Amino acid sequence: MGQSRAEIIAWVAGNVIPHEAALRARLRRMAVAGEEIDDIVQETYLNIARLKSVAHIRDGRGYLFTAARMVMLQRIRRNRIVRIDHLTDTQALALEDDAPGPERHVAARRELARVRRMIEDLPPRCREIFELRRVEGVSQREIAERLDLPEHTIEQQAIRGLKLILKAITTEDRATADPSETRHTAVKGTSGNG
Amino acid sequence: MDDDGAAHWAIRRDAGPLSPDEQRELDAWLAADERREGALLRAEAALVYIARDPALIDAESDPAAPDEEAQAPARFGRRHFLAGGAAAVAAGVAGILLMPSGQEFSTTVGEVRRLPLADGSVATVNTASRIAVALEPERRHITLEEGEAWFQVAHDAHRPFVVDIGSVRVRAVGTAFSVRRNPEGVDVLVTEGVVETWIEGQETSRTRIAQGERSFVATGTQAIVAVKAADEIERALAWRDGGLALNGEPLSYAVAELNRYNHRKLVVEDPVLARMPIVGYFRTNEPGDFARAVAPLIGARVEMRSGDMHLVATGA
Repeated sequence: MGQSRAEIIAWVAGNVIPHEAALRARLRRMAVAGEEIDDIVQETYLNIARLKSVAHIRDGRGYLFTAARMVMLQRIRRNRIVRIDHLTDTQALALEDDAPGPERHVAARRELARVRRMIEDLPPRCREIFELRRVEGVSQREIAERLDLPEHTIEQQAIRGLKLILKAITTEDRATADPSETRHTAVKGTSGNG
Repeated sequence: MDDDGAAHWAIRRDAGPLSPDEQRELDAWLAADERREGALLRAEAALVYIARDPALIDAESDPAAPDEEAQAPARFGRRHFLAGGAAAVAAGVAGILLMPSGQEFSTTVGEVRRLPLADGSVATVNTASRIAVALEPERRHITLEEGEAWFQVAHDAHRPFVVDIGSVRVRAVGTAFSVRRNPEGVDVLVTEGVVETWIEGQETSRTRIAQGERSFVATGTQAIVAVKAADEIERALAWRDGGLALNGEPLSYAVAELNRYNHRKLVVEDPVLARMPIVGYFRTNEPGDFARAVAPLIGARVEMRSGDMHLVATGA
């Protein structure tokens, strides 16, 4: 039943991280304040971290949006939203993925371009370390030897680089902008099933 | 967001196993704020994200697709239709044995059955359903007594294919569509081609429903209106692959749907929980998986009571 943490991390990497920017964009359109968005996203990851298994979830993006909606509802109930006191349950329930269905699945090529751009945008030293470590799989110690720098410096640079990546995944650049950003007027089918 | 700490620990863990001291330090960091667990997961996943072979992203976005059979008809195109038709024709002789004209056929709870008809059409019959088939020389006449079925109709301009669902009639020549009967009315979804529908006794007033459209004909209604519903149709027909696809429908709906397929029932009594919108793709025959996946998201836990699974709010 349970999955290893590494499996869950790999699943989050492939199915949740690519969609975080779309979720944030959607929350911004709902006029949720920036700090509040950070909190909602963080709590959403916490809920995912507590799952024993993700094997049964097929639509990571859909799951991310639902999880975020649940977090929002819980926050409203707990009165933890101070900056947007006008936000009601109804509005939280309106948090849904408004990207057209077929376009929800991030195309591999578009995602690849996005990842490449993130790495290209890193400062030169960070980028060099990331390419060695992430792409070529060289160990931190060996990178230190190759670059003739203390291992501690490599670690600091890697941390700095990862922080920049964590920032980059919160926004979509123009080339990879999610369709929901530009086409949020697309009418969502509302004739329910039940 | 505690990106500083999360990035620090993600990099440290990535560099190699933590020493006992480091592990204690990490535990203390995590314990100081419960949300850090989420921040750390995000940072570690971001590291994997930028390193992963991007060619795998698409394939892996469907991690639970369990077997070929479940994946194959995920999208029903013309090619599938023709292949299905040809297979049914090839099995024509056996088909007559399987499904003689003028016979009733039913599925039990949880059963989804693909039923080739003697004319080359295929009826895929959902859980707890009952249909009667009469392949007459001038027309092919199906009656859906109960439940739901999806029809891939073999083209035959001289023998219209008509489905009776209570007082609602759906007529096709060569097309694919589904009908579902429930106490509130009849749902017609068209996946290919065009069908004509009308209410019994009002043959002159027919409504055309085209590919990508659906119509819900409420019991007692006099008018049939087709609405565009392209994405919804694929979702509504996920049962053909043993799936239930939800896009924000309330928990009460999800539970009612899953209960169609299982003897072990899901029960939600709390009205607040019942209204929670659910998104995701679930196996219709795994209500336990569904309950375990959904419970933590909606602040509920699963309790077994006399064989049924109750979703109960965790002391909100």
